[in-house]
Amino acid sequence: MHIEKHPVLGRQLLKPVTIYFNDQPYQAYSQQSVAAALMANGIKKLGVSRKLVQSRGLFCSRGRCCSCYMTIDGEDHVRSCMTVVKDGMRIYPNMEDPEVRREIDED
Amino acid sequence: MKTDVLIIGGGPAGLSAAIETASRGLDVTIVDEASQLGGQLNQQTQTLRPLPSVYEPMRGFELAYKLIEQIKGLSVKPLLNHRVVGFYADGSAGITDEENVFPVKAKKIIVASGAAEKAVAFPKWTMPGIMTIGAAQTLINRDFVMAGREAVIVGSSDFAMETAMQLMAVGTRVKAIIEKQSEVSAIDQEKVSELSRNGIPFYFNSFIKEVRGNGQVEQIDIELPDEVITLNVDLVCMDGGRMPILDVFYQLGCSFGFQEELGGWVPQYSNTFQTDREDVFIAGNAAGISTQGPLLLTGMIAGISVSEELQAIRSAEANEMRETLWKELGLLEYKEVYSGRVKHLENFTSPILKDQFIS
Repeated sequence: MHIEKHPVLGRQLLKPVTIYFNDQPYQAYSQQSVAAALMANGIKKLGVSRKLVQSRGLFCSRGRCCSCYMTIDGEDHVRSCMTVVKDGMRIYPNMEDPEVRREIDED
Repeated sequence: MKTDVLIIGGGPAGLSAAIETASRGLDVTIVDEASQLGGQLNQQTQTLRPLPSVYEPMRGFELAYKLIEQIKGLSVKPLLNHRVVGFYADGSAGITDEENVFPVKAKKIIVASGAAEKAVAFPKWTMPGIMTIGAAQTLINRDFVMAGREAVIVGSSDFAMETAMQLMAVGTRVKAIIEKQSEVSAIDQEKVSELSRNGIPFYFNSFIKEVRGNGQVEQIDIELPDEVITLNVDLVCMDGGRMPILDVFYQLGCSFGFQEELGGWVPQYSNTFQTDREDVFIAGNAAGISTQGPLLLTGMIAGISVSEELQAIRSAEANEMRETLWKELGLLEYKEVYSGRVKHLENFTSPILKDQFIS
């Protein structure tokens, strides 16, 4: 749930953006991190652990624990707590280790 | 890229070091991996006191604003969303914008890398919905997102008490505070009694026995001294204390000493906040876990020492200022932490064992 009116800081959520998680649209606000925006929409499971395939979510929100890895705009293993949302951002959960030797179709 | 002073970390200590150096005409570069300066101050809505005499008590985010104001117009270049990933043979820092890595050659480096929260392990502690108190505070005060509807807090430091109150203020029901010791670890008793007055139970000599939930936390079992109780919660905040972030110091080859009161392993430094590398200075929580007032003072001292080394200030003047700031540090810092700091300095400047250093 978004905090529309903060007890100290008042109304801060002014610029709505739309993000897509598993191709479904969700509302977020411009200053939010990807992980926070998903949690506001009730999505806490951001991926699974590589070995035991257990659920993983936001843990430290400081970019250190790497529990919140997600695939964001085509890039795997992005720390979703350190990435600010952008309108139209496409987000997928981190279900396995990235394929590092895949072909990159740019340039 | 070249700069006089490279400051790693743009939190309270890094910013106050930037003010001291840049205001004396030095060219300063601050690198921080976050998208804004201010570090953890940005989500601290509580009033910080005591602060150094140059600042009146104010809320964390107001202090961040006040510090950032002071570097405006000075020669300070913030590299936000950038990280230091290593050092080249010539001492240049390798800095990345997540796409490219480029070298920054600095005359002096001040490392103010801050602190990391420690985890508290219990069965299923990695389940979504379980997070550090710092993460919960960031969610509610920076991202404006409810961290959960019904919560418990594991641990009872000042930071945990503060976070419990902030969670309640945004509408989260705090169902219990669970402490493995027989009393609270918070020093500020006022917050503890306020939480008690609000009817929040403190379970002492207790711990989380198990967590259950389908993909996210739904229920926990708490082991009390003589029974096990079950609570339905969707948020568990853990307060495992904090430790200095040391990665950069390892890369720089700095020496360390163990000082429990400062948070464990801490880089060694002298009373000028110079490490065992003459070009590397230290400030903030990296130099020992403390509260905001003292953290600012360490940044100021480091900044003055670097200004002295780069001849932006006379030695006599620098010594006098350092002496005053150390006195203030002794007054503002918790006694236990300050005496740990003094011991840490002594171990470095007059070591009892010659081979006590690791690096």
